[in-house]
Amino acid sequence: MTSTLPPPAAPTDTPAPPTAARRPRPRLGVGTWIAAALLGLVLLVAVIGPLIAPHDPTGVVGLPSRPPSGEHWGGTDSTGMDVFSRTLAGTRIDVAIAVFSTLLATALGIVVGLAVGMNESRRGPVGMAARGLSRLLDLLQAIPVVIIGLVVVSFFGTSTVTMILAIAVILMPIQARLTRTEVLRVRGDAYLDAARQAGQHELRVIVKHVLPNSVRPALLNVSVILGISIVLTAALGFLGVGLPPPTPEWGSMIAHGAGDAAVGKWWSAGFPAAALCITVASASVLTHRFTVNRVG
Amino acid sequence: MTPAVPTAAPDAASLLAAVRRQRWWALRVLVLPIHILVFALIAFFLVRLIPGDPARAIAGPDATPETYEAVRAQLGLDGSIWTQLGHYVSGLVRFDPGTSITNGRPVFDELMARLPGTVELAVVSFVILVLASLLLSLVVVLAPRSLDARIVSGYSQAAGAVPDFVVGVIGILLFYATLQVVPAPNGRTRPGLQEPDPITHFPLLDSVLAGRFAVTSSILSHYLLPIVVLVVSLAPLLLKQLLGALGPAAEDRATLFRIATGTPRRKVVVSIYRRALPPTIAVFGTIFGTLLGGTVIIEQLFGLGGLGTYAVTAVAGLDFTALQGTLVLVAAISMIVFLLSDVTTMLLDPRRRPGVRGSGS
Repeated sequence: MTSTLPPPAAPTDTPAPPTAARRPRPRLGVGTWIAAALLGLVLLVAVIGPLIAPHDPTGVVGLPSRPPSGEHWGGTDSTGMDVFSRTLAGTRIDVAIAVFSTLLATALGIVVGLAVGMNESRRGPVGMAARGLSRLLDLLQAIPVVIIGLVVVSFFGTSTVTMILAIAVILMPIQARLTRTEVLRVRGDAYLDAARQAGQHELRVIVKHVLPNSVRPALLNVSVILGISIVLTAALGFLGVGLPPPTPEWGSMIAHGAGDAAVGKWWSAGFPAAALCITVASASVLTHRFTVNRVG
Repeated sequence: MTPAVPTAAPDAASLLAAVRRQRWWALRVLVLPIHILVFALIAFFLVRLIPGDPARAIAGPDATPETYEAVRAQLGLDGSIWTQLGHYVSGLVRFDPGTSITNGRPVFDELMARLPGTVELAVVSFVILVLASLLLSLVVVLAPRSLDARIVSGYSQAAGAVPDFVVGVIGILLFYATLQVVPAPNGRTRPGLQEPDPITHFPLLDSVLAGRFAVTSSILSHYLLPIVVLVVSLAPLLLKQLLGALGPAAEDRATLFRIATGTPRRKVVVSIYRRALPPTIAVFGTIFGTLLGGTVIIEQLFGLGGLGTYAVTAVAGLDFTALQGTLVLVAAISMIVFLLSDVTTMLLDPRRRPGVRGSGS
């Protein structure tokens, strides 16, 4: 069982210099602030994007495949829709799916991780079910998320809500495994026995004592999940499953613009691609700074 | 290899002991089919969780009852759920995931016709990916403070930030549309070039075996950009893991000991890799899975027509049998690769075998 555990996924990339005291390092500044500003901007656009979009994001508003101009800041795509407006409007869809599916996946993952971790060594059917689930979580991580996503999303239909549910289910195992590992570490600790002997109900022990002590890796991993989720949403949109065509979604916009890119018209794929990369990269830079700061 | 089995008298006890010694990998291999089957069962119940009636959706609103029943039968949705399950499992055991709903051809044949192309692209990319990552990590190990090393580390931090399909579109824009150094992203060979008759069904291998080197070079030129795209977008993932393992190994006391005793630099580096690689090999399996997923997307982008295109067409045509089949096949491949990487890790580092309680380093 232990053999299938990959090296710990905990983000312990650059070991902080051991001698450095806990004073703020000057070079932490610029990059982190730029990333924070960019991410703030993305979130802002996600909220007000459709309101400030200069054109109708789902309607034909000009000649097809025009380069960026004063009228159409991002040019128009091959059906004549305004690329800039669609990119702005798409922010809400992609970010909403990413944020909500991440929250849901983390909540589910923590619950599943706790349930599996606490029951894994029990005898009887509950223990067997927990062990089976634990093996299943290990198995699921061997299979590419894009493939699972392709099938799940195509099965569960295509609205924002079902997309959120589907992606949450796909990403849940990652969080569940992280939590499970922590639960297994914490489970034997003496304070749990103390709480039990003080007459606390098992559920209360889990919620009050196991949960706070085993939830950290999953919480630190939230922004990683956010990145995976947003890329997965776009990848599925790119493959043509997910939200139906006129919906402004970055992935399907990139897929749509790929044909234009092949004849040198970069803008209709370029703007959504840039938006996608900025979002993921700024989230990833922040995570890195944040976790290094916390761990070091 | 595995610890040599002492060839004493082949009595029952020593035979049993020999078997027991091999249990760590034999057990894993034996349960693999069960794992795949469990996954197939999940796929089975997933289809039945779909809200609505897929048979109705596929047959159309004004289908005759006969057509509707035929579609239901084809989907394996007729009879009770247990007879359905029985049909499905007995089909899978015979490697028969059923026939396609959209064109009536056996899904197994369709998959087998497309799988080799995908596997070929994935394997070639994977080999290049591993070699490239190892070479890049060498830059960091040899001179951790140099500018090159900083660039490589920065690149590894970009893991996951630029998705493969974005790199693909940029690649097409740059190298096809602008520089015109690669052929058009629509197929495996130059249009009009006759592909040789399938021998192994691996397109590249077939062209070499048939001696049609014009085809080989055409396929290679069409593969060039997809491979570069996959390697560039996935290398940070592997590189990050490699650097994460190599860093501590390079600063380990074992390294200091070798340097202090005047071991040649080359041997010191080999020793660092020797200690850092076993834990990373388990990651290779996961990376291959990711690569397979990436290949599916890249195939679609470059019109290479492999498994990915098949799956996407199946989604568009609501072809559930085809989708189930694809899912189980990809899951099986991923699990086999995962198992191989796991067993390799345990082979290199016996402490990782189940039941072994070893001390740290």
